[in-house]
Amino acid sequence: MASHLDTNVIPPSRQREAPRAGMTWIGQSIKRVEDPRILSGKGGYIDDVTVPGMAHAAMVTSPHAHARIVSIDTSKAKALAGVIGVYTGADLATVVDPCPSFASPPVPQHAMAIDKVRHVGEVVAAVVAEDRYIAEDAAGLVEVEWEILPANVDIEAALEATGDAVLHPDDRESNKALDESFSFGPVEEDFAAADHIIKRRLRWNRSSAQAIETCGVIAQFDPFKGGYTIHANSNFYNFIPFVIGGSLRVSPGELRIVPVLTGGSFGSKVFTHKIIILTGGLARLAGVPVKYIEDRLEHFTNSDSHGSDRLYDAELAVSKDGTFKSLRFTVLDDYGAYLQFGVGTHGNAMAQVTGPYQIGSFAMRVIAVLTNKTQQGPYRGFGSEVTNWVMERMVDATAAELGRDALELREQNMIQPDQFPYMIPTGNIYDSGNFQEVLGQAKEMFGLDAWREKAAKLRAEGRCVGIGVATCMERSVYGPTEWWSLNNRETPGFTLTSTPEGITARFDPSGKLFITLNSPMVGNSPETVVTQILAERLTVAPEDIVINYSDSQSGFNGVGPQGSRFTAMIAGACVSASIKLEERLKRFGAHMLQRRPEDVELRGGMVAVKGLKDQEKSFAEIALTSSFFRLSFPDGEEFDSGIETTAVYDHPISTDPAEDRSHLGIFYPIVGHICHIVAVEVDPGTGKVEMLDYSAVHDNGTIVNPRTLAGQVWGGTANGIGTTLSEQFCYDSEGQFTNPNFAEFAMPTANEMPRNFKLGHVETPSPYTEYGIKGGGEGGRLGAPSALTSAIEDALSNYGVRISALPVTPPILRGLIREAGQSAAG
Amino acid sequence: MKPAAFEYECPTDLKAALAFLDADTETRILAGGQSLVPMMNFRMATPERLIDINRLPDLDYVREEDGDIVIGALARHGDIKASELIAEHLPVVAEAYEWIAHAAVRNRGTLCGNLCHADPASEMPAVMQVLGARMVASRLSGSRQIAAEDFFLGTYETALEPDEMLTEVRIPKPEPNSSWGFEEVAMRKGDYAWCTVVVMLSVEDGKIRQPRIAVSGISDHAHRLGATEAGLEGRAPDTALLEELAQSAAQDADPIGTETANSEYRRDLLRVLMPRVLQAAIDRAGE
Amino acid sequence: MKKIAVSVTVNGRQREALIAPRMLLSDFVRQELELPGTHVGCEHGVCGSCNVIVDGKAVRSCLMFAVQAEGSQITTVEGFSADGELHPIQTAFWEEHGLQCGFCTPGMLASAKELLDANPDPTDDEIREAISGNLCRCTGYEFIINAIRSAAKTLRDTENKKTLQPA
Repeated sequence: MASHLDTNVIPPSRQREAPRAGMTWIGQSIKRVEDPRILSGKGGYIDDVTVPGMAHAAMVTSPHAHARIVSIDTSKAKALAGVIGVYTGADLATVVDPCPSFASPPVPQHAMAIDKVRHVGEVVAAVVAEDRYIAEDAAGLVEVEWEILPANVDIEAALEATGDAVLHPDDRESNKALDESFSFGPVEEDFAAADHIIKRRLRWNRSSAQAIETCGVIAQFDPFKGGYTIHANSNFYNFIPFVIGGSLRVSPGELRIVPVLTGGSFGSKVFTHKIIILTGGLARLAGVPVKYIEDRLEHFTNSDSHGSDRLYDAELAVSKDGTFKSLRFTVLDDYGAYLQFGVGTHGNAMAQVTGPYQIGSFAMRVIAVLTNKTQQGPYRGFGSEVTNWVMERMVDATAAELGRDALELREQNMIQPDQFPYMIPTGNIYDSGNFQEVLGQAKEMFGLDAWREKAAKLRAEGRCVGIGVATCMERSVYGPTEWWSLNNRETPGFTLTSTPEGITARFDPSGKLFITLNSPMVGNSPETVVTQILAERLTVAPEDIVINYSDSQSGFNGVGPQGSRFTAMIAGACVSASIKLEERLKRFGAHMLQRRPEDVELRGGMVAVKGLKDQEKSFAEIALTSSFFRLSFPDGEEFDSGIETTAVYDHPISTDPAEDRSHLGIFYPIVGHICHIVAVEVDPGTGKVEMLDYSAVHDNGTIVNPRTLAGQVWGGTANGIGTTLSEQFCYDSEGQFTNPNFAEFAMPTANEMPRNFKLGHVETPSPYTEYGIKGGGEGGRLGAPSALTSAIEDALSNYGVRISALPVTPPILRGLIREAGQSAAG
Repeated sequence: MKPAAFEYECPTDLKAALAFLDADTETRILAGGQSLVPMMNFRMATPERLIDINRLPDLDYVREEDGDIVIGALARHGDIKASELIAEHLPVVAEAYEWIAHAAVRNRGTLCGNLCHADPASEMPAVMQVLGARMVASRLSGSRQIAAEDFFLGTYETALEPDEMLTEVRIPKPEPNSSWGFEEVAMRKGDYAWCTVVVMLSVEDGKIRQPRIAVSGISDHAHRLGATEAGLEGRAPDTALLEELAQSAAQDADPIGTETANSEYRRDLLRVLMPRVLQAAIDRAGE
Repeated sequence: MKKIAVSVTVNGRQREALIAPRMLLSDFVRQELELPGTHVGCEHGVCGSCNVIVDGKAVRSCLMFAVQAEGSQITTVEGFSADGELHPIQTAFWEEHGLQCGFCTPGMLASAKELLDANPDPTDDEIREAISGNLCRCTGYEFIINAIRSAAKTLRDTENKKTLQPA
């Protein structure tokens, strides 16, 4: 039967290193290479960087959600002792162009507002002064006259806004930035044939990553010395620095972005172009190096990294016997005042929108809404955390309406182990998996049967105890089509298809293996991963591997840690580099051993003759000889001195979206699977939720370092717990962001985490990546919200509470219980 | 987020400190700084002058004096929490401290500073009221005592005059047969609470005697619930009674509302927590 | 603005400076003393990244003015390790993967040290409570708790060995 997916042909695997048992380094929980310097306080974060003559910037920010700037008087601020300069948006625009935007058509944004502000916290002027204290004093002296405009706070109302309430009237007549519809497969037919159509309106509210370190920049501009030198905690410094150069009006040759150790990202520091452009421009205007580190308030209100903020009207078509047939939804997404990455967060969600289930067709209408809030950016999950929750909510809703056991319904519809690679309706594939094994292990680890009995007994006693099970996908290793595949086809934007990761490797004459990475460390473990893979592949001792980071001028391709891509991608680059290094080591070594290259092998840091003991040359000896004793080898460029290589790894398996978008191609195919099971008790009087027991099983393919992977899962789960129970950005009707601080935006502390968290792993290796590695950086947050929501609903089943919005803070949950009680009483 | 400039004085005797208060300059006393300094960093507070009292002698104490437990202006939360005197005579204070802030904040923060800050969601203003504490307000010309009930006037507002400093809190030792209960609900442990209910009472011959019950997080300052106390006095402990009194206290309340916790929720908390706290106190009395 | 002379002992070394009264201890340590291991995360006393040990107690250095530290003994993360050796608590964080991005770690170490100085054998709940004023966005805390538990054991074992050694 012809299918919309027929043209989406799965390419053959390019895997070179097959997964295998009994590896020496891969699979070991070695201590992290990164840690000693960090533990001793010498990590070198952005605020630790100082340069001679450095001044400090402070910002004048908008107190209003939406307003015209009538006038700005900087005279008092300029007169303050210690102030070097005070600059408005118009001043900045003399040296910088607007910010890059991946939306198509773009939503224009300036690093500093000109004429109009569109959210509380948007910068309207900046002070450069001798120190930050004085800069803030002066910022307080800048006088701005405002003309207040109507604020758009509600996602649906913003779509209806006209006149002065339109955010970008010069570019768009309404606050609708994008409205696109897609249909993948026979959706209409499947819905027409369905016995049940389950409908839900689901709301996922706004929060953000809030890494403990904010974003920051130290910018220097010297027209006689290479232009800009910029230290920044940004991921993308080796990927698209020229885009930032464009805004700074310099060529890449006049822009050197230097990475630093980054104090957490979770997506929030993927690009950070605005603060780079802002600080760069200030340095150029002021004629001195400028440091600008966001304070926490600025990070909340102006860092362009707010998370998804969505309203779904979702429908699941189901057969009488509970078989899922088709999914469709309309989603509104409150992107805030700008649209830096387009609707990439929805493109991402297309990777696994139908979850681990066999669902034959899918349709979506996505509407990007502009409001007077800080714009969205990436946050752990990049939109897929929301669709995971929507899918699992729909499964629970189906179970409730059909009177079925929700877990049994999941098992009935799950993709079977013999169906991989499995292509979902959007065209993405799931490369491999064994969802049943993951679920089985999770059930056992949790003791599900016993817990169910116990919960039923406790509920009969009047206690609100419940259990939630979530079976979710964890897509990893993205291809960049997700950023543009949902754009209007007439203006798809920058249709790039490469997100490579590169590495440079060199044996110095002492035999040390010097590695240059092209992406920063953001709390992941790049140095440890690279060390383990190179030690495995080249038989080098880990202590002989030395790791450095390039800057944007000395480096090669690098996209960095995001989208759970880095470990799988850098492993590919390490294998590519190893193949090249091995070839050179063998050529030199074989010559020194007076053998043919095909007769030698790598063994314990040596080039050794196959099958013979003691016939070997250490890498150090080879490196030394090849570096300093050229005449010991034959003529010919294959014996050029030294052992060095630069290697890159491109996405292991991706395809283009269909021209007509009948499918989106393969773009996020390395899939993990996760099962979270949690037992909770709710205090119905207060709405407080206590986690009684928690088990998670993740399948991330071949594991490089079990302990660092566990750390990622833990951390992601903590984020997911926060998203579900306590983290919420609050806005009043005027668009004031009312809780932009750590006292009121309640991220979990150690006391808020479950006491007995158990973690297990299944390893279903990917057939496409080296060693079968899959990404694992986001899974916790991709699973925890669904499981917890389900558990809370189960706990409150006696009250008939239905959860259709997150978070469920105690006041919100208590409100639901109260309403349910009232409607039951009424 | 850096504080605005201020004049800094660090007197080494109380009189000198009090003398600074007797002036036109907008002056704030700096004790632990755990509430004041965040507000200064946000520039929500911009005092012209800070009087750092940390080097005043003889104000860092928790001691027994004339039947009172007396807590000096420089006694830190952490020391009070760990005090044997407190554990023995004022277990409700020790219990409340289990829920207040975190170790590093308790290491610097002072009880007196916390009371003067008068945050409507703070626990100790309610605790002090059920304990019948007296606030010793000192000025150059002498000192006066203010009952805890009369001390808290509104959000960040107390009965202290601009030239007065809270130099100590005097808490009468509770009767040996008195009992207590404390419960609060906050987003996270250690956060300011949405609602705190604290009670002291005794049970004699099966009757509740001298009940004192106070709440915080409900209005702009912690306050006692006179009607509930009257409804408890002399009555036999009984679940239905507690529920009924909680119901009417909740009905009578006009709770504050915020984006994160509306007034309806706070009313619910008052109704739910009060019987729990009273029951805990009654149970303790029976031990 | 009138500057004030301040003299403190930081990590065993006497340091003196002339500073504005409003300079926060966190900025003083980082900028004046050039000890950047103390991290500033929120500047309103919630995240705990800036915790340092002042006269034996962990305090928020963003909520203290440097002038208030006059005469104090201060330990920052730079003072934990000595003679090229990590402190046992640091080693335990390394071994138990108690850090990812490491930004909160110096504050965590300060809280952990204060706890273990006072309580050599804490329960897990006591450890949780002791670090509950330190926000970490990476780890979910579990490995930090493991690290502190493990450090406690190492420190106890070392102490026991000392006691057992003949005088």
